[in-house]
Formats: sequence, structure tokens, C-alpha cells
Amino acid sequence: MMQEPQEMVEETVTIEEDPGTPTSHVSVVTSDDGTTRRTETKDYSANMKVTKMVKTVTTRTVRQMPLGPDGLPLPEGSSPLGSYTDSIDRRYMKNGGDRFITPQATSTLTRSYNNSYNDSYGETPESQYIRHYGLHDGYADLTDNYGSLSRGVNFRPPRYPYLPSNYRPENSYTLPIRKDDYGHVAQPQVPMGSSTVDLNRSQPERFQPEPYGLEDDRRSLGPEEEEPYELEPDYSTANRRTLQGANRGRTHREPLRDGPRVRGYPDESIEAELIDERHPYIHGMYSAPLAQPERGSMASLDRMGGRRSPSIDSIRKDPRWRDPDLPEVIAMLGHPIDPVKSNAAAYLQHLCYENDKIKKDVRQLKGIPVLVGLLDHPKSEVHRKACGALRNISYGKDNDNKVAIKNCDGIPALVRLLRKTNDMEVRELITGTLWNLSSYEPLKMVIINHGLQTMTNEVIIPHSGWEHEPNEDSKPRDAEWTTVFKNTSGCLRNVSSDGAEARRRLRECEGLVDALLHALQSAVGKKDMDNKSVENCVCIMRNLSYHVHKEVPGAEKFHDPSALQAPGSAGPQRKKKDDAGCFGGKKAKEEWFNQGRKNGENDKNYDTLDLPKRAEPSKGFELLYQPEVVRLYLSLLTESQNYNTLEAAAGALQNLSAGQWTWSNYIRATVRKEKGLPILVELLRSDSDKVVRAVAIALRNLSIDRRNKDLIGSYAMRDLVSNLPSGQQRPAKNLEEDTVVAILNTIHEIVTDSSENARSLIQAQAIEKLVAINRTSQSARETKAASHVLQTVWSYKELRNALTKDGWNKSHFQPTVTTTPKATKNGKPSYDDTTLPLMEKNQDGYSTIDQRDKDCRDCKYKTGDGSADLTEREPLKNDTNRKHYIRSNRPAVSLVDACDVKPQPVDSWV
Amino acid sequence: MLHVPGDPVTAVTVQVEINKLRYGENLILGFSIGGGIDQDPGQNPFSEDKCDKGIYVTNLTPDGPAEKAGLRMGDKIMQANGWDMTMVTHDKARKILTKKKENVVRLLVTRKSLEEAVKHSMCKWTKQ
Repeated sequence: MMQEPQEMVEETVTIEEDPGTPTSHVSVVTSDDGTTRRTETKDYSANMKVTKMVKTVTTRTVRQMPLGPDGLPLPEGSSPLGSYTDSIDRRYMKNGGDRFITPQATSTLTRSYNNSYNDSYGETPESQYIRHYGLHDGYADLTDNYGSLSRGVNFRPPRYPYLPSNYRPENSYTLPIRKDDYGHVAQPQVPMGSSTVDLNRSQPERFQPEPYGLEDDRRSLGPEEEEPYELEPDYSTANRRTLQGANRGRTHREPLRDGPRVRGYPDESIEAELIDERHPYIHGMYSAPLAQPERGSMASLDRMGGRRSPSIDSIRKDPRWRDPDLPEVIAMLGHPIDPVKSNAAAYLQHLCYENDKIKKDVRQLKGIPVLVGLLDHPKSEVHRKACGALRNISYGKDNDNKVAIKNCDGIPALVRLLRKTNDMEVRELITGTLWNLSSYEPLKMVIINHGLQTMTNEVIIPHSGWEHEPNEDSKPRDAEWTTVFKNTSGCLRNVSSDGAEARRRLRECEGLVDALLHALQSAVGKKDMDNKSVENCVCIMRNLSYHVHKEVPGAEKFHDPSALQAPGSAGPQRKKKDDAGCFGGKKAKEEWFNQGRKNGENDKNYDTLDLPKRAEPSKGFELLYQPEVVRLYLSLLTESQNYNTLEAAAGALQNLSAGQWTWSNYIRATVRKEKGLPILVELLRSDSDKVVRAVAIALRNLSIDRRNKDLIGSYAMRDLVSNLPSGQQRPAKNLEEDTVVAILNTIHEIVTDSSENARSLIQAQAIEKLVAINRTSQSARETKAASHVLQTVWSYKELRNALTKDGWNKSHFQPTVTTTPKATKNGKPSYDDTTLPLMEKNQDGYSTIDQRDKDCRDCKYKTGDGSADLTEREPLKNDTNRKHYIRSNRPAVSLVDACDVKPQPVDSWV
Repeated sequence: MLHVPGDPVTAVTVQVEINKLRYGENLILGFSIGGGIDQDPGQNPFSEDKCDKGIYVTNLTPDGPAEKAGLRMGDKIMQANGWDMTMVTHDKARKILTKKKENVVRLLVTRKSLEEAVKHSMCKWTKQ
């Protein structure tokens, strides 16, 4: 199935999707047993990260001797109806069928078949799989049995709007096989073989094979169902996402259209009719005559051999049989008999797997509200299958499907079911679906509104091992990296990028931050830090740390001394109770903070800074910025092999060390004391572009601390410089423009106000590279950033002598004069690069800006979802203080010189 | 496209109607503007002579509302919802475009390719 990350994550950011078009390489191998195996390797560039899927398609062989439902040979082509029948029942009747099977039938059925309904196929998982095969036989038998039932259905093809092309009137007699439509029938064999069970367990997104009669082969698809949650997409596309937020426009609007459309759906009347007439037939089916004994034997053969005997294949291939078409399946969802519902839902899940067209059709046929309605069905079989279908439908680029789920209140229904059910599989499906939905920007807030606390209480907290009020005797528990936890954390990761309000909600969600931190600490303790759940948790933490110095209740107190004097007046828009809860009644401490802050302003030497002692342990969002988290992030940075985790941990430090408030002072000092600087510098050698970028920006923020600046200047310069391209040649790593700019900005920060560091820069042979970038880079942003560094270096008169000796002269340090700005590499006009952020001046120091820069970037690349959002939206919100806001990817460089001469051009996103 | 304040402006324009996209609590158009009478016209990469202080479209969100509506990078915005955009400060332009009460922005824009197309084809001038 598909997941997203976001729709990783994200529309915005969600936008995750633009990514794309999956490219698939399909190889088809036909084997002699009449099955075709189809292997697809999917590569979704942005959204989905589907690694690999194997699909097997069974082509049907023609059955030689069709038997009638009652076991009597069918009169060949006697009536279209007759022929049609079998296939239909086959599909639908699976489980439900048994129930109604006449006694004789039962006798011939395989045991599994009989059991299936009652004991929910219970047996060991392996046996289930086998069972499936067994079921095939069963199904073979059944087919005929049901034959008579399906008659009603036969009428449909002619009027069925769906598959007109397939429908061949000539064939009406014998039903056309609609291979094209539902061609991807997977075969059980491949996936089932050995690993099936495990696979399924570990990958919730898959269709869970369950033994139900006929469908087995389809079921086996399960494995394919695996779709990476779209989270990934979010991350990767974060960039896009920002921009794309906009595109959503179209999709966004769709839902509106949908509503009416649904009502007036042209097919509606037909559908209704069909349902009416269909049901009686279906019922009829159940009382259909028995299967023939012989069939049974065939079945058993299959079972034994592990592959299907040709005769069975031929049965399935009978041209007169076909799968039910979509409206039929959707109609089945409303069938009064529960097993029919669940089987129909399961079949829908299968059909939707990786088939955007079908998903869209399901939506247009109003299938989604029906599925959502089934979520509240008391029978677990039914809501499980409905959930599975929704998970597949919610995956993919078509955000309309997600919106359709939301529009029929699917999100509250999923959350409700999550509260209600204890079935792990159902929980996996629910959280997987929510993860998928969370990749679409407009749904993020909806998910937060309906599901945040429930997901936290039902999944995050219990699986994290964190306990609200630990008993004296209970040992601290470790986090369990369950699929449910992975899915839920992925969902929260996506929604955490939805801007300031989303961050506020998550921070204030009771127990969430505590549980995430506990989970991460447990991951560090167990040295199990490379998995996706950890990645999700760190990304959430990173996102929640963004702008924490501005957004956290009571944050003003740590910025503005005047706020300290009048605590009551601080942050009128904040909730009072939060103020009290966090920092209330600590006058002395506040003064202390204040003092610390002043010191910081003066000489930025925090070496002597003592961390504040807290009367009570901090909890909730306070934990985000306590100096204790530094050690956690540093451990992750040391140990994790997962680039996303590394990037997120570095991003978290970057976020926390940005800004001018007391806590960021502590964080910066703590990183140094915990010996974090060498760890970060080490990561500058990482092969991952985004890790290098996040680390470089973190170093830049950290160097706001004077001691850090000196240390970084002494020890990091060579690694920073080695990441720079020399001339037009990119270094081996081939870092992206953003990264190069980030490194240049960091270098600039480090050499500013420090001639010692400038000297180190010169000694690191950087001038040659900088001059080359300044002169020849294709990127205006790189040029500009390099030029700032050069100007700063030249400004140290004491260094000029050395520079001249090396053969440099003043002209090398002048900005290259370009009346017409170069275009940036990616085609953006350099125009916007020159923009000095006017607004930024009002803000607190450029670290924040950077921050903003970074965050945005982070979002783009990592969280995917939020970044674009952040940058673009936030400014709008705070319109009053800022004249303009800068886009996230704007080089922070521009801050440097500036505004003195004349107003610089500004780009404003609107 | 250079014009003297107070003189009538003649330009080939197209109307672009952009439906703002609701994005959280914000409405976005999906493009960025540069220029304005308070900005340095010399840095405008799109104007022909470097004296034009008009408002230009400097960037578009791929597939965003503006791009879908047909706006292009480098377009000069003449009017927005009837407001003159040729003699405004950058900030004023931004405010006009981002009014929260207005869900639709109708722009009159001119672009070089349009002017040229008209000249070459000798079609009638569309005066707006």
C-alpha cells in the first residue's frame, strides 16, 4: 500500500506530492504454469518511497469444462447470466459464503474454509497462508455453487459506465474478463513463500492476507500493499511543498466540488437500482447449490503443491467469469451480510493498491463515505477491512481522496475506532491511514483537532514506555518500536510542520513531549537509533523546537527585561495558566535569568554560566529546551547511522541555539560543555548533503556564543572549507547550493568580529576557493555569500599584509560588480537574493533569521511538510512587526551589509 | 513600459484572475513580487531599462494559484483589483495583494512577449 510521509508529509508542504510520478520498471515473466509474474520496482521520487514491490499476476487459463453452480455442467453460454455468476460469487462470497452454504456444500469444503468464518480463520499465521491456497480450491468449488447467485449482476455490464471499453457486447454471453481493469491480481506464491508473516507484521501498510475463500490470491497481494508512508515524500519535497502549498489550491478546492457531485452523481440512480436488484441475487447466491466434490480434490492438490494446478487456473481463466466491477464492489459494502461487507472492503483494498484510477473511481462512486461508515461497524472483521481499504485509498498523490475521507468525517471516525479497538492490526491500519492523510496540508489541523490527544494517549505514551507518574517499584520501561508507534509518530511528524498553531498544539498536548523524549532516551540507551520511529520522534522534536523562543508561553520573559518587571502584562495572548505552570512564581530565578542574559549581551561568555536549578522537574514543552536535551541530541548525532535522524538532531540543536533568549544561551554553552562541537564538526564530513547543511547552520548558531566561536574557528575551519567547491568544480560531495551557501554563511559568522578566525580561514587555504566562487559560481547566492566573507576578511587590516604576500589584492575582495544579477542555478532570479530583509532588522539577531532559514529548509528537506509553510506563512501572521518576510531559502548572508545605502529590493511572497 | 507619472500609460495587458488559496489561516497567491517606487530599480532583472519602479513578478510557486492562472515570472503588474500598481511602494503593493477579505485577485499584467506578439501580428491593442 502506500503511505506517505508524507504524502510525506506532506502537502505543504504537503505538498509532498509533486514528486511525483512514480517510475516503475516492470518486467513480466511468464512461467509455464500459466502465471505471469510481474515485478515492479517503484520509485516515487518524492512522495512515496516505495522501494520495491513484487506483484504476481495470474492470468487465467481457460477452463475447459465449466460446471454449473450446482455442479452440473453449465450449458455453454447458456445465458450470459450463468456464466457471469461464478466469478462474482467467487469474489464476494468468500467468507460470507460459507455461512449460507447448504450443508452438502460444507461437507465438500476444505476445513479451512468452513472454519474461516467462525474462528476468523484462526490458526497460526503460516497456516493461514497455506490456507489461502487451500481456499482456492474451496473457492473453485464455491464458484460453481454460487453461480446462480450472481445472476443479477449480469445485467450490469451493458449499463455500466465504468468499463465500456472492456465491455464487449459479443462477449456478453460469456462475460468478459476485465483484465485491464483489475489486471493486477497478485499471486500469493511469491510473497507468501517464506517471509510472509513477518513481512506483514512489520509492514502494516500491507494488505494483510487473510484467508478468505476465493480472494486468496488477491490477498496475497498483501505484500505489495506496502507502501512507504508518504512521510518520506514530505521530507524530500519539503521544498516543493512550500511552494506547492499553493498548488494545492486546485486540489484543495476539489472537495467542495465533490460534495455536490456526490449528491448529483449521475450514476447514483443507476447505482441505487443496481444495489436493489443486486442484493436479492446475492442472497440467492448463498443458497446456491453445492460445489462438486471433485473440485475439492483439485484444491487439495494445489494446497499440497504450493502452487496452483493448471486446472484451477483454467477455471479462473474462464472468459465467462470476471471480477465484479467497481460499482458492484461498492454496492457490496452496503450489503446486509457482514462478511460480504468485509470481503468487499478487502477486495477494494486490493483493487486500490497502487491504482490511482481505481481510487479515484471509488471516490466518485461514493465509496469512501460507505467505507468510513463501516469504521463504526461493531464487527472487527468489517471495520478492519474497511480500514485497510481506506489506508490504500488515502495513499498517493491524489489529495482529493484524502479530502474525501475527511469530508465524510473519516478522521473522527478513525480516531474513534482507535480509541475503541485493541486489535493491533486495526490500530496499525488506522494509524497508517492517518499517516497518509497527514501528508496533505489542509488536513493537518483537522487531524490535530480530532486525533492529537487520542494518538498521544493511545499510542505514543504507552509505546514510548513513559509513565505519567511512575510507581516506585515499577521499572522504567523501554520504548517499543511497534508499527503502530511508527505510524503514529509519522503522522505527528507530518502535522508538526503545519505552522505555529500546530506546534503550539503539539507542545501543549499533555504527555507528548515527555513521551517522545523518553522514547528517544530509551533508543539511545539501547543503541537502537536507526529506525524510522526514532527518526520520526527526532523530527517531531526538531519541529517543535522551532521558534520555541518566540512561541512558548512565557517566552517573552526571557527576552525582554521590561516583561520581567511586569510579569502580569507579559504575553497577553498567552494562556494564563501556561504562564503559571511553566515559570510562575519564580521571581528570583527570573532575575537571575535576566542577569544571565545581560551578561550574554555584553561579552557572550557563558563559560561561567550555571544552569538554573529547578524546584520541580520540568515537564511538557519545557523539556524541549532544557539543556538536558543537548546530551540526547549529541548521542544521536554520535551514534545514529540514519541521515534523517542526524539531520533532525542537528536541526534541533540549530533551532534551540537560535535566538536570543536565556535558554538558547544555555543550550549553546551546554553543547560546548558536553563536548558537542567536535561531534558536529565531525559530521561536516558526512556524505549526506542535508546533514552537512544542518550541521553547518547549527554551528553558525552556536557561534553566537563567543567561546564557541573561538573554538569553532580553531577547529572547524578546515572541515568547513573542505566542503566548499573549488572554482567551478564541485567537490566530490557535490553539495547543493543551499548547503554551500549555509557553509559560507557559517564561515562568515565565524570570521566576523574575530581576526583570529579570519586568520585560520586564510590558513585553511580558503581564499582561493572563495575568490573562485565569487568570480565564477553560477549561483548568485553563493557568489554573494562568498563575497561577504571576502569583504569581512579584507576588513581586517592586520591581515592584509599576509594576503598580499599570497598574491591577493583588494580587487579579489571586492564584490563582483554585476548590474544584471546572475541567475541563480535553479533559475531563480538573483533579484530576490539581494533583498535585504528589512524586517529582519526588527528581529532579534540574525540567528533567528538563520533559524528561520534553516527551519524552513529543514522542513523542506526533512520534515518536508512544514518548512515551506513556515516561511511563507508566518510572516503574514505577524504582519505588523515585519514589513516583509523572507523566503526560507534566502541566504542569510544578505543580512550583513546593507540597508544603509538605499532601500534594497525586496521580494514579497503573496 | 517606462512611463512618466501623470502620463497615460499604454500597454498590452492581459487579465489574470487568481483565486487565493487558503493555507492555514492565510490566503496565498503563490508568487512573489519585487520592485516598487521605494526599491532600487537597477536591481530589477526583468525591466528593460533599469529605471522602471513597477511591481514585477519575481517568482512563482510551481503549480500554485498564480502559475495556474497564467501569471509568469517577469510579468509587470499594472493593476490589482482596480488598484494602480505602477506607482506604489513595495509594501503597499504587497498589502493590496494580500487583503484578507478578498479571495480573488484580478491582475492586469503586461509582459514583453505580449507586447512583441502584438506588434508583430499587428493586432489591435487591447487597452485596459
